[in-house]
Amino acid sequence: MIGAIVDGGELLHVAWVSLASGLGVTAAWAVAIVGGSRALEFGRDGRGVEAAIFAILGLAALVAVLAAIVLGIVALIDK
Amino acid sequence: MEGDLLTVAIVVGVALAFDFTNGFHDTANVVATSVSTRAMPPRLAVGYAAILNFVGAFISLQVAATVAEDVVNPASIGLLAVFGGLVAAIAWNLVTWYFGLPSSSSHALIGGIVGAVLVADGADAIFFKDGVLGKVMIPALVAPTLAFAIAGLSILLIYRIVGRLRPGSVTAGFRAGQVISGGMLALAHGTNDAQKTMGVIALALVAHGNLPASDPTPPTWVVVSAATAIALGTYAGGWRIIKTMGSRIHKMDSAQGFAAQGAGAAVILASSQAGFPLSTTHTISGAVIGSGAAKRLSAVRWGVAGNIVAAWVLTLPAAAAMGAVTYAVTRLFGTGAVGPVVVSVVILAGGALLFARRAQQARTPTTTAVEA
Repeated sequence: MIGAIVDGGELLHVAWVSLASGLGVTAAWAVAIVGGSRALEFGRDGRGVEAAIFAILGLAALVAVLAAIVLGIVALIDK
Repeated sequence: MEGDLLTVAIVVGVALAFDFTNGFHDTANVVATSVSTRAMPPRLAVGYAAILNFVGAFISLQVAATVAEDVVNPASIGLLAVFGGLVAAIAWNLVTWYFGLPSSSSHALIGGIVGAVLVADGADAIFFKDGVLGKVMIPALVAPTLAFAIAGLSILLIYRIVGRLRPGSVTAGFRAGQVISGGMLALAHGTNDAQKTMGVIALALVAHGNLPASDPTPPTWVVVSAATAIALGTYAGGWRIIKTMGSRIHKMDSAQGFAAQGAGAAVILASSQAGFPLSTTHTISGAVIGSGAAKRLSAVRWGVAGNIVAAWVLTLPAAAAMGAVTYAVTRLFGTGAVGPVVVSVVILAGGALLFARRAQQARTPTTTAVEA
């Protein structure tokens, strides 16, 4: 019955977009924290290779967060 | 075409006043999470939220289009019906504020307009099935549920990813993240809520003949004035929040704050893109409850959640009834500016009275407090 009233496709689109962006950005930010935190710890212990790997991981996650935000805003403006 | 220029000016003024009160009322929802986790100092959080509410109003017009075209028929609506709906929404907001009920300004606005149009132009002028139910009521029920689920899943995901880190690093990391998530929430709030006012002003301009009913896109001055009104309201409301901060806000950790703000922003922005005029209050509340429930069910004030559901059920019909009565009273004075002037004076006096009584109650110790 609800399907006859509401545009199910549009509502489903809202559901998956918000689920993907909400969980994706949260996970990416958490990975950025892990990357930054571990990079600092390994750096203090003099383990340069591990520190660099975690720094790159953290940076990549940070870029993913910023890219997701920019993409979301562009999608809003474009419609 | 209905009404003179003065009537249009009054309706636009009342719409912007509603927008201001919307920002004023919702500042708490937008900044409370950032301030309670100490991600941002209160003054900075309020200023930041005001600026991003302003910016948010410019990034989409989908919600404005829904309010102007899909809820009521813009071709048949009159200026006094728009006025009646707006006054009903403001009156309902004042009454619920006075009694401390968690009401939605958005539901009050839609309800008020529908009630006034029902009396003014009949049921044929309202798109009940596709508009009121399909684009307002059902999405308004789905959005808080979705925000609850996303915030809950987010917090479980966060604890799984950062579980082995030192608590200090996690707190600092998510406090920094809240600058982004809090900003996105303010942006989302400005996007969805300011557009409702734009849509209503567009309806008034259609009724007066300034905009075609076939394309009631709000002109730039409407967008700028609605953005300014909600930003000023957010900033003004913030000073009230700063004074009461620390005593009323439920404590949460920075990861929960980040999850709640991120989930709320994601749902509101995705809904704005689809043109659904949501209750941002209920959506943010759903996300906050979800982030608490995922950690510990007993951490949630389920009584507050129950009040939100009760307010959700009550607001639309109550605001509709008030919109119908307001239109009927305004119409008693004819179709000119006299009715809107009289009703505006009455609502201003009523608002001032409620503010005065509230201020008096705040100064007078209650019996319980004295006994304690």
